[in-house]
Formats: sequence, C-alpha cells, structure tokens
Amino acid sequence: MKSRKLLTGPYLFWAVSFIIIPLLMIVYYGLTDKEGNFTLQNLAQITTPENMKALGLALLLSFISTIICLVLAYPLAMILSEKNVNQSSFIVLIFILPMWMNSLLRTIAWQNLLEKNGIINSVLGFFHLPAQGLINTPYAIVLGMVYNFLPFMVLPIYNVLAKIDKDVIFAARDLGANNLQTFTRIILPLSVPGIISGITMVFVPSLTTFVISDLLGGSKILLIGNVIEQEFKQGSNWNTGSGLSLVLMIFIIVSMALIAKYDKDGEGTAF
Amino acid sequence: MSNKLIDIVNITKSYDENIVLDQLNLYIRENEFLTLLGPSGCGKTTLLRILGGFEAPDSGDIIFDGKNINSLPPNRRQLNTVFQKYALFSHMTIAENIAFGLKIKGKTKGYIQDKIRYALKLVNLDGFENRTPDSLSGGQQQRIAIARAIVNEPKVLLLDEPLGALDLKLRQDMQYELIRLKNELGITFLYVTHDQEEALTMSDTIVVMNQGYVQQVGTPEDIYNEPQNAFVADFIGDSNILSATMVEDKVVKMLGAVWECVDVGFGKNKPVDAVIRPEDIDLVKPKKGIIQGVVTHIIFKGVHYEMEVLANNYELLVHSTDMFPVGTEVGIKVDPFDIQIMQKPESEDEEAAGIEE
Amino acid sequence: MIKSAAKRFYLILIFILLYAPIVTLIVLSFNSSKTRAKWGGFAGKWYITLFQNQEIMNALYTTLIIALVSALIATIIGTAAAIGVQAMKPKFRTLTLGITNIPMLNADIVTGISLMLLFIAFRFSLGFKTILLAHITFNIPYVILSVLPKLKQTNKNVYEAALDLGASPVYAFFKVVFPDIMPGVFSGFLLAFTMSLDDFVITHFTKGPGVDTLSTKIYSEVRKGIKPEMYALSTIMFLTVLVLLMLVNTAPDKTDVLSSGQIEIKKKHKLSRFIFRKVVPTAIVIVIVAGGFFYGSHNSAAGKSQVIVYNWGEYINPDILTKFEKETGIHVVYEEYETNEIMYPKIQSGAIAYDVVCPSDYMVQRMIENNLLAEIDFDKVPNIKYIDKPYMDQARQYDPENKYSVPYLFGTVGILYNKTMVDEPVDSWGILWDKKYKDSILMQDSVRDTFGVTLKYLGYSLNSTDLDELEEAKKLLIEQKPLVQAYVIDQVRDKMIGNEAALGVIYSGEALYTQLENPNLEYVIPKEGSNLWIDSWVIPKNAEHKENAEKFINFLCRPDIAKMNYDYTTYSIPNSEGRKLIEDKALRDNRITFPEPEDLKNCETFKFLGDENDALYNRLWREVKSR
Repeated sequence: MKSRKLLTGPYLFWAVSFIIIPLLMIVYYGLTDKEGNFTLQNLAQITTPENMKALGLALLLSFISTIICLVLAYPLAMILSEKNVNQSSFIVLIFILPMWMNSLLRTIAWQNLLEKNGIINSVLGFFHLPAQGLINTPYAIVLGMVYNFLPFMVLPIYNVLAKIDKDVIFAARDLGANNLQTFTRIILPLSVPGIISGITMVFVPSLTTFVISDLLGGSKILLIGNVIEQEFKQGSNWNTGSGLSLVLMIFIIVSMALIAKYDKDGEGTAF
Repeated sequence: MSNKLIDIVNITKSYDENIVLDQLNLYIRENEFLTLLGPSGCGKTTLLRILGGFEAPDSGDIIFDGKNINSLPPNRRQLNTVFQKYALFSHMTIAENIAFGLKIKGKTKGYIQDKIRYALKLVNLDGFENRTPDSLSGGQQQRIAIARAIVNEPKVLLLDEPLGALDLKLRQDMQYELIRLKNELGITFLYVTHDQEEALTMSDTIVVMNQGYVQQVGTPEDIYNEPQNAFVADFIGDSNILSATMVEDKVVKMLGAVWECVDVGFGKNKPVDAVIRPEDIDLVKPKKGIIQGVVTHIIFKGVHYEMEVLANNYELLVHSTDMFPVGTEVGIKVDPFDIQIMQKPESEDEEAAGIEE
Repeated sequence: MIKSAAKRFYLILIFILLYAPIVTLIVLSFNSSKTRAKWGGFAGKWYITLFQNQEIMNALYTTLIIALVSALIATIIGTAAAIGVQAMKPKFRTLTLGITNIPMLNADIVTGISLMLLFIAFRFSLGFKTILLAHITFNIPYVILSVLPKLKQTNKNVYEAALDLGASPVYAFFKVVFPDIMPGVFSGFLLAFTMSLDDFVITHFTKGPGVDTLSTKIYSEVRKGIKPEMYALSTIMFLTVLVLLMLVNTAPDKTDVLSSGQIEIKKKHKLSRFIFRKVVPTAIVIVIVAGGFFYGSHNSAAGKSQVIVYNWGEYINPDILTKFEKETGIHVVYEEYETNEIMYPKIQSGAIAYDVVCPSDYMVQRMIENNLLAEIDFDKVPNIKYIDKPYMDQARQYDPENKYSVPYLFGTVGILYNKTMVDEPVDSWGILWDKKYKDSILMQDSVRDTFGVTLKYLGYSLNSTDLDELEEAKKLLIEQKPLVQAYVIDQVRDKMIGNEAALGVIYSGEALYTQLENPNLEYVIPKEGSNLWIDSWVIPKNAEHKENAEKFINFLCRPDIAKMNYDYTTYSIPNSEGRKLIEDKALRDNRITFPEPEDLKNCETFKFLGDENDALYNRLWREVKSR
C-alpha cells in the first residue's frame, strides 16, 4: 500500500512546480512594485474608474451569459437524460467534436453571421425584417460566451440528472406529485451540485475572457480580461497585471468554495 | 372472501421483440397479502410497475375498484409503492421524506406532524425525524420507505422485492414486521419477490410466474403441497421430480417399481411427472421398502439430515431426522398422499405457459 | 406527441446554435475570394495550397505533437497519481484533489500568466518546451478526474486475488487492474488531447518566437484576415474526426439495453475497441512519423545558423524569406506583432532574443533612449546606398545619427471611404464625427494613431504632451465612440472591401490593395494633415545573431527585393532604384504610394514622448475604450 502512494509523487512534484509556485509568483508580483518593494498599489488599481468599469461590465456580461446558459442547458440536459441516449455519442456531438474546429475560428465565424451584411441579417432581410446591428455590441459578446461555454453547463447538469435513480422520480410520482411538483421538489434540488458546478464552469471563463470580447466586441468593449492581457502583453506592467489578477482570483476562489460546499462527492464534475 | 379490488385483464407488455407479459389475467382481493413469486425476468416487476403506473401495457386493462385506470398517471392512483432500492429522497430529512406525499396533498402541518410520528412509531424508528437517508442502515432505510408510503393511506401497497438488499437475519425480522404492519393497517399488500421462503411465510395468496405467464395461483399450502407443474415444484422448495408412467388411476410406475397414489384422470399408460418432497420419503429397513437404495451422501442440517440415496440409477434427495451413514442399504417408502402427479409438458412453450386444467 | 415534437425542435435549435459557425467555416473554405468578407465563387484551391503553406503545416504539426506528447505524459503522470490518491488517507486525498481542481477551475488567463511568470523568472526561454510544460500541467487534472471514478468502481479484491495467485504487484496491476480502468485512462487521454488542441489562452502566454500552434497562428491572423487555408485545414480536421466517430458510434443500431440488446452492445464494443486499439494509434503514428520527416526537413537548418525576425503582420513578401534562406543558408525564424506597443515590452523584457525588429519611428526613438538597440555595422550593410537620402534625413528625427535604424517602408495615415455610401467630398478628419455615419466608422485600435488623428483635427501637433490638448482630444474621442463600429487594425481592409463600413482610418499601403478589391473605395489625406510614418529595421542589444541580422537588412535594401516587397505589401518603399523596377506605370506613379511634397504639407512624424507621457496616453486611451 505504501508503494502505491508513492505513485502520486511525480504528480505532486509537478503540481507544486507548475501550479502552486506560479500562483505564488502572481501573488509576489501583485504585491510588489517594479523595484520589488511591498505595495498595495497594484490591488488598488482595480478602483480606477476604467478598471472598475471593465470589471463591472465583465461581471454583468458573464452573469447574463451564465443565466442564459443555465436556461438553455437545463432543458437540454433533461431531454437528453430522459432520452436514454448513448451518453458518449451525445458528449462527443455537443462537446468534443466542435473542439476539433478551433474555438477561435468558430468565434470568428460568428462575425460572418452577425455582421451588417452578414448571414443572419441576410436571412432577416429575406423575410423583410429589419436588420439587427449585433456585431461589436455587448450582445455579441454575450452570444460568444454562451456559444463557447454552453457545453460546460450542459455536461455537469446532464451528469447529475443521469445519475438520479429513475425510481426516485417514480417514487415522487407515486406519492402524488404531478410533473411540475416532481421537478421542483425532487429533480431540481437533486441537480443542485451539477448546477453549481456548471455555473462556475461558465462564469469563471466568461468573467476572465479577453478573446471573445476582442473578436466580437470590435475592441470597443473592454473587459477585465482585456485589461489584464494588455498589462502583460502591451503595457509590460506585470505588477499591475498581477495585482488585477489577484483581485480576479477572489471571484474564482469564491466559486471554488461554492463547488466544495455543494458538490462534496464530486458528482457534479463535468468529466 | 372479500371483493375483487384490482382486476388485471389480458395484460400484454413487450420490450422490442421481447414479450415480458403475455395475455395475463389476475385479480387481487381487498385486504389480501398477495405475492408475485418467480425467478428474475419472469415479468413480476413489470406487472408491478404497470399497476403503479410507471409503465403502460401494450394491451389489456387494469380495473381498480371497478374503474379502468389505464390512463391514470401514477400520482392519481390510490396505491403506493415501496421500491426495491428504497428510492429515498437524499436531499431531504427523514421527516421531509415521510411528509412528501402529505404536503403534496395539502394536509395541515399538525396532521403531517402526527402522521410522521405515527409512521415512525409503526416502523420502530421513533426519533429519526431529522436524520438524513444516507446516515441510515439498509434495514432502516427500508422501513422509512414503507413509512413514507403508508402515511398516504393507500388502498394497496406495492412492494418490489423490498427485502432483497438485507441480510438473512434482518430479512426474517422484517418479514414479521411486514405481517404485523399489514394486520394493523388492514390494507392490501401486493408483494414481489423471488424468494420462495419469504412468499410462503407472509402471503395469503401466491402467484407463481415464469416467462410472462402465471404458473399457479393458490395459498402457500396449495402451492407447496400440490404444485401443478414441474416448474412450480422445482421452484418451491426442494423436490424430487421423476419421470413416471400413469398405469391407471391411482397406480403409477416410477423408479423401476409400481406405486400406489391418489391421483386420478390421467388416462392409462400415460407419461407423467411425479413430485415427491424430500421430507416425504421414508427410509426403512431394506426389506420393508418398496425399492432399495444406498446412501451416498449425508449432511447435517440442524433440524434434519439431508441425504442422497441412489436407487435404481436415480439420485433421490431425502430429509430425515434419523441418521443413516454413507453406504447404508435402505428401503424406500412413500405415503400415497405424498406422491403428486403432474402432466408432462409437450413443448417448451407449453412448459412456460404452464398447464391449464 | 406535441411534447416530443417540442423537444425535438429544441434539440435542433441548440444544434443549429452550436453548428452554425462550423458550417460557416466549411462554406468559407470553399470561397475562392481571399477575404472572408466577399463570396468569390466556389473553389477547392485552398485545399491544395494548404499543403504548400509551410507556416500552417508547421503550426499544425506543432499543435498535434504538443497535444499528443502532453496528453501522453499527462496520462502517465495522471494515471499514476490517481492510483496513488486512491490509496491515500482521506485528508491528503482531499488536499491533492483540491490542488488538482485549481487548473480546471482557475481562469485560463491566470494560469497562463502564472506559468509565464514562472518560466521567465527561472530563465526558461519561452518556446516549444514551455508550451509543452504548460499543456501537460492543465491536462493532468482531466486524466486524474477521468481515471478516479473507474478506480473507485474496480473491485479491490481483484487486485488482491491476483497477488494471492502469485502475481507480482506490477504484473497484477497491468494484467488485472489496468484493463478495468482502461476506458477511464483512454477517455482521459482523449479529453486531454482535445483540450490541448483547442487551447489558446495558455499557449498565448507561454509561447515563444517561431513557435505557433494553430490557435496562436489564427489569433495573429485575426487582425489582418484569416488565411483561407486555415478554414480548409479545420474543415479537414473536423470531417476526419466526424467520420472516425461515426464509425465508432453508429455501426450498431441504437437498441435499448435489454437482454436482446446486449449482443449488439458487445459487437459495438468490439468495433470501437478495434478503432481505439488499432485505427487511432496507427493514425497517430502516421501523423508523427510523416510530420517528423516534414518538420525535420524544414528545420534541419535551424541548428546551424538562424536569424529571428520580429515584424509587423503581413509586412513582408514571404518569397523574400525563402529567397534569403536559399541565398545565404541562414534559417529565418519569423514572428509577427500587431502594434508597436505589443512589440516593445517583449524586447524590453528580453525574454526572447530577437535579432531584427521593425518598429515605427517614435518607437525606434524610444528604444534608442532606453538603450535597447545595438549600433548597426554599416560596413556589413553596403546596400544602404539604395535608401533615398530624403528618407535617411527624415529618419534623423528619431535616430539623429542614423546609427541604429534602416528605413524599410513608409506611408501616411488617411481616410478610406466608400463612394457609394459617402455623398460629400471628404477632405477633413471632421467627417469621422458626423452622426450620419453612425456605426459605419472604423477607427484604429492603437493609441498614437487614434490620438494623432484627433489632435490633428483639433489643429494640434500629433506629438502634443499638453494635458489640456490631450484631455480635449480624449473628450472628442469619447464623443465619437457611439458612432464607431469597431476599433480594429488591419481588419479595416476586409471590412471596407466587404462594404461593412463607410469610412475607415487606414495606412496608405492598405489603401491600394482595397481599391483593387473594391473600386468604390477612395483614399484621402485630410487637409489638417496627418502622420507620415517610417518603419525601420533595428537590431536589439540582446540579439544573438547580429551578423545574420545585418545580412538580412542588407538583403532587404536590394532594389529587386524592395520591389518584390512592394508588389506584395503595396506599402511605399524608400528605394527609388526599386521603384523604377515597378512595371505598371500607374502604380509606379501612384500618388497614394508615392505622395507629392504638397500632400505632406501638414504631416508630421511621431516622436517618442517619454515613458511618463506614454503612460498618460495609455491612461487616456483606456478611459476612452472603457467608456
């Protein structure tokens, strides 16, 4: 038994080297200035009006995207779990297969769909409907987020729903609950771990994205992810960038804590 | 006896090509403890689920209290189910589990509280209100599942192998508990099991099923003592099933000898099956037996000895309180009343369908 | 009935949402026009040129090899870890799994940044290896979380039974435990492979020069328009996987899991096992071997002698690089950037030792002032004589002694407008503030250009450091923001060609190309004046192949090479010998490319304004952007 534990060794070494230490590096950079002296200045950067705006907008858009994903994903997961579809073929179709077409390319393709003379407006025009100015708006960014992260909401919910013993649902029906009551009192509460983990898996990447806002927002809309990316890639201000990342990590840690609380057995994980 | 409560008429159900229930007819009387007994895959659970409303039959009718309930959803049926794996709501406390059906019906808080206390007392789990299902043992969960069903005062309680997951001792305790419950509640129990001992212990009526057909319906005594075919005889208890020839009424030829029996109406010189329960074989001095044999195996079983006796190339299973060491030559005698004659099935299909008299 | 129809309808809707972009990309791969904005008819040519496009093939190979190697290593480490974790005390197990969750739940951007900081702090030079390390890091958790559930399901007694029957622990593991957890290991591997394949953010932060995965290649192409070969490649990849999966999944019909179905399920397992055990590994081996030969043949020169070039996107004729490699035997590692501001910090941090870079005027000045540049040995650049004197003089504005830089291309900034959408004559920047053109205006996504335009419109110098003037410009830009369709860089080109916008701020070199594609477009330098810019080659101080860099610069100064470059980029060359070689008279005398002195009357060149003022510009710009 002892020797089996040793098998974790390489991984623990790896995890400390490439997960823990790098995170400590961010903490170090975030709490020091260019000369290496301790400062809270970098954290305080979040309070400048532009950064507050970027953070606020990121929070708002990712919140909306998360809600939309949840609303879209839940019925989808339910239909699929009822249908007794071969699980692997479904996951592949929703999740793995599209990934073989690069996600950046797929997001860029939305430009074609959303543009003024794009495909959606052509279709609308065909039905004599007014053209919509979608591209380069917050709506387009929300759409991009929903599109990119929807599978991360579907999978955990599907996994918990599929694990619910059919007899539990039958039992509720048997005890007099109608379809709606069965849903609100049994299915929904039992799927909470999946919902929480889905919410986290959509909210965190939406909150921190800089690619989607870049590609579908026409660089008109700055999210906190864009600010951080620019601090590193353009401003070369690693300290400020790290400071802002630290602030962002607070939201991530809250999410992780939520998962830990509601999903003790890890049943809501997507994979 | 009392009236028919449920009448099952010509129910057929199949999954894909696989026929699970074929033109099945059965009725259940009020206040009866009826057990569906059969090996797994015989269709007993499917029948139960059709009654519960979780499966729809392909054809046929379910008449409940004179009304056809075919299209009634489960929540509107006046029966409740105790599921095989209990199906407790893991996100609720025990009290919430029990209160579930009552809350749906909109009962008052006070009423619900009383019912919870009453039900927990009934299943001997007072004070468990605030525990969660996963903190309970299997037997406790089982009793909660029963409590959850009976607080709704159903006319019929459907139990799907409810004791299957429990160990032997607990199972025996729960059997008595169930009989007690049934007597206290005075409602109909429809019980599904593959355990013949359980069925014999608890039931008023046993329905033996195999491959979608009813094989025999009767009291535990009928089923045990007068199995109507080889399947029933084999399935219920230990038995020696022997190929035999009915020489004439009340005379049967088997084991290379001619025996006296009590059955009539099989015709002359017809091949039949004869069933003899192991405890009905009397071992005597070699000379006093109708035929002779040699004891080849012996095991002590507590109440009796279980022996195998080789006689005229047949291995006979014998239960006896007397001990005969291996190698002893014995004589074999059977009381005419203890020989049960059955028609031989002519095809496999007929064997499954059972023989209708 | 209605219910199930509604469900089906819903499934179809979701399916459309997920697959609309994919279909779009497949359609685009057959578009004969080079730009995404225009349908030029059906053509399969990109599927042929794809295989001749070395950069894309390299990126593909890098992507696959990184995905494969990282998934393999992650599978080994992860599976071992999962087995170990299973044997741990609950307390440690929780801790270990907590750590495992970090890369899964943490934002990619934070993971990417943290790894970048680590690599730089420990002097790992960013490149293939760092991408690989990063990918392994984020892949391991997927493997662990795939294997653990399978391990939980396996019966511990089975392993003990094997030991009891005399097997050694290792033998018992591989013969008894491993087959049980195999599906988990395999799906972990597949998941890791796919995740690695699709990752952009983490690669973006951990990659170095000359290494590109498909994702980073695509991202760097976004601004200037995706190469259509990319669409063709992703179509091929997508369809390959689709076919493979169809073989696995649809062979048996989908009967439910009742006794009769079991046989079919077995059959299915057999087939999928066949595919997973035979087809997939074979395919992988073929890819590696074939790719290895391909890659090797192209990089054999890499070991000997190379020059690392860092240039603007789409800013050189790729044939020139091939020609240079052929003539000198020096291997070119080529990397691109979007803006001066993106390039500068990379040079400053020194994380990557570029040999030759092409900054704009003011940036050259900034790099000189910050002591980042090496003096060029002009004895080794004899072709400097072909660079016209006026431009060398102009260059003194930012490189006073002409010691550090060699002018490469130059041009102006002006307004490109669509004659069918704009009625009035365009002669002033003011039209960019005309409400009539709401949502039809494209601005440059770069600080100095956008502020320069605004300052000029206000009548100030585009090198202004006066806070009031800048605040005024900022206000004007904020006022303009609702009218702006997007802040873009090279995309102005595609969008103007595709009639997506009426007006756009653009570099003169792009104007010529857009006019060829869309004759309704017209370029004008507004009367208030504009920016006359010069991009020059410089050599950073930390360059490791300075001599090769000088050879490279010298090569570019050759008139025939300058002309080749003009043909491709349509940017103005400061090389009149080269200009003379241009065959088409209309182009040779084009006033957009080679403006007359009177056109440049009010034009200025950008100067470096000092770090503090730069920060001020950046702050004001962010205020505009975030408004």
